[in-house]
Amino acid sequence: MNNLLQDIESQIAGVKTGVAKENVGIVREIGDGVAKIEGLTDAMLNEMLDFGNGVTGLALNLEETEVGAIILGKFTDVKEGQEVKTTGKLLQVPVGKALLGRVVNSLGQPIDGKGPIQAEANYPVEKIAPGIIKRRSVSQPVQTGIMAIDAMIPIGRGQRELIIGDRSTGKTTIGIDTIISNARQNKAAEEAGDRDYRPLYSVYVAIGQKQSNVANVVRILEDAGALPYTIVLVAAASDSATNQYLAPFAGCSMGEWFMDNGMDALIIFDDLSKHATAYRQVSLVLRRPSGREAFPGDVFYLHSRLLERSARLSEAAGNGSLTALPIIETQLGDVSAYIPTNVISITDGQIYLETDLFYQGVRPAVSVGLSVSRVGSAAQIKAMKQVAGRIKLDLAQFRELAAFAQFGSDLDPKTQAQLERGKRIVELFKQPQYNPLPVELQVVALWSMQNGFLDDVDVDKIKDCQAKLGEFMTSRKADLMAKVRAEKAVSDALAGELKAAVGEFKQSYK
Amino acid sequence: MKINKQDRRNAKQLFQCCLDNGQMDEERIRKAVEALIRLKPRGFAAILSHFQRLVRLEIARRTATVESTVALTDELRQAVQRNLADRFGPGLRYEFRVNPALLGGLRIKVGSDVFDGSVQARLASLQASL
Repeated sequence: MNNLLQDIESQIAGVKTGVAKENVGIVREIGDGVAKIEGLTDAMLNEMLDFGNGVTGLALNLEETEVGAIILGKFTDVKEGQEVKTTGKLLQVPVGKALLGRVVNSLGQPIDGKGPIQAEANYPVEKIAPGIIKRRSVSQPVQTGIMAIDAMIPIGRGQRELIIGDRSTGKTTIGIDTIISNARQNKAAEEAGDRDYRPLYSVYVAIGQKQSNVANVVRILEDAGALPYTIVLVAAASDSATNQYLAPFAGCSMGEWFMDNGMDALIIFDDLSKHATAYRQVSLVLRRPSGREAFPGDVFYLHSRLLERSARLSEAAGNGSLTALPIIETQLGDVSAYIPTNVISITDGQIYLETDLFYQGVRPAVSVGLSVSRVGSAAQIKAMKQVAGRIKLDLAQFRELAAFAQFGSDLDPKTQAQLERGKRIVELFKQPQYNPLPVELQVVALWSMQNGFLDDVDVDKIKDCQAKLGEFMTSRKADLMAKVRAEKAVSDALAGELKAAVGEFKQSYK
Repeated sequence: MKINKQDRRNAKQLFQCCLDNGQMDEERIRKAVEALIRLKPRGFAAILSHFQRLVRLEIARRTATVESTVALTDELRQAVQRNLADRFGPGLRYEFRVNPALLGGLRIKVGSDVFDGSVQARLASLQASL
């Protein structure tokens, strides 16, 4: 019997040492990170190719007599006449919880110097989005901590919400604030041992950004204690167009791992305009025909297949979700340009940031009129719905009447009251950056505003009043805050308690 | 040389005419080249250039390169040729080379397909798996 096992083993070993067939080609042209290869008859689309010395490539153009491939890694080492092999594999990136707290490049390799990553699995970079049956409608909120957004343009888990605006209007800041807000909530739930709370992990993909900006972002996340819940994926401006092209897809795969394993994740693409530019460069060097604004014909498909991978899955499929916050930079506020209109039609709403508002001091510079969330109040907790339901309408009426504000005293008391209320609401929604507010404080602030407790406070003292109210509530009425957080709705009893608490605060506030 | 689409198409058509049962007919190819040079139709230089490339690629596709560490005996050569003809069909061009870097075994390349049974390749794959 012993001999039998050994014999079988040696026979199996003998069969395994057979020679496998490989498929090779010769590099005929190399330049700009793109190689033209003759031969390679078995190459398939998007297949990984091995150039030797650890340099890999992706076969993107399959032509009659040659293969066009983009090179990942050091393309300066590749020479004409070099042999290239097919690998039969698709491009994959490491995924899993081991990536949290790390800064990686488009291939998932760590660039923060904190040692190698032991990934749980490898996911392909290009994946087909979940089908219709696997999905479920969005009903859980992503608490961004930014009052203007949580009240009027709420974002749900599984939604795609576009952040669009000119340069330096605070687009990245909204993303970072969301990450910090969710990290704080995750930590609080962990410390309290709350089993019902579903943590939200974040992936921040930096495409074509300055490395100093990315370093700044990492430092801010670290200081806020948000890095342990975040994966930072960097394809900086000095990286090749190929790496910048692949970065969002790699980031999406990392986020999808959380979604597939029943967890919630958030991914921020900063920004997709640079991504479209990198893809344009890759396509032009591959000699693909160009269309409008020199973008290739499939630039819509580039973004639609990326953003369709964000979804909320049904119970049967694991109940996970992936929320996407793509960022687009417009030129001079032109939202009707090619790429912005493409992405607006793909996403479930947009947050429109205006430079005028920014310089008037309204920061975050969210334009309430032009911003929309197609998921809307389905993604708000009941308490928020109760207090914020009328705010958008009030602000719209205020904007209409604002022209008359110049006339000042010649207005009837009702209009005057609306104007005063509107000014206070605008002031209330201003928020300093990297300072997200927990949802119970937002509810308290908005509830106070709606019930007239802030009408007698001067407009320029509103922020101070709100800050002090927040401090008062967290330090002296912590149990009331806990009740709001737990019940998620403002019942009559709770409203009574709030009235008493805010009344108490107002008496001591000067 | 920049070869436009029309010349590329013409060269391809010419090349297809020179094929006999899917295999290149040397006679026809020589005649085609001579005729092009003699008649000098419009764009003939570009057509010639692309035609040459197509012939080169076709030759490469139907060439079997057998590399070994020492020169093979006639018996072995014939065995290899028979085996390859069985697999890839007749009409293959055979090239036998000596490559001491292989350390042992054979490396056979037919067109783009490579069967690498050399010791060097096995050592490399062993190193890659470690």
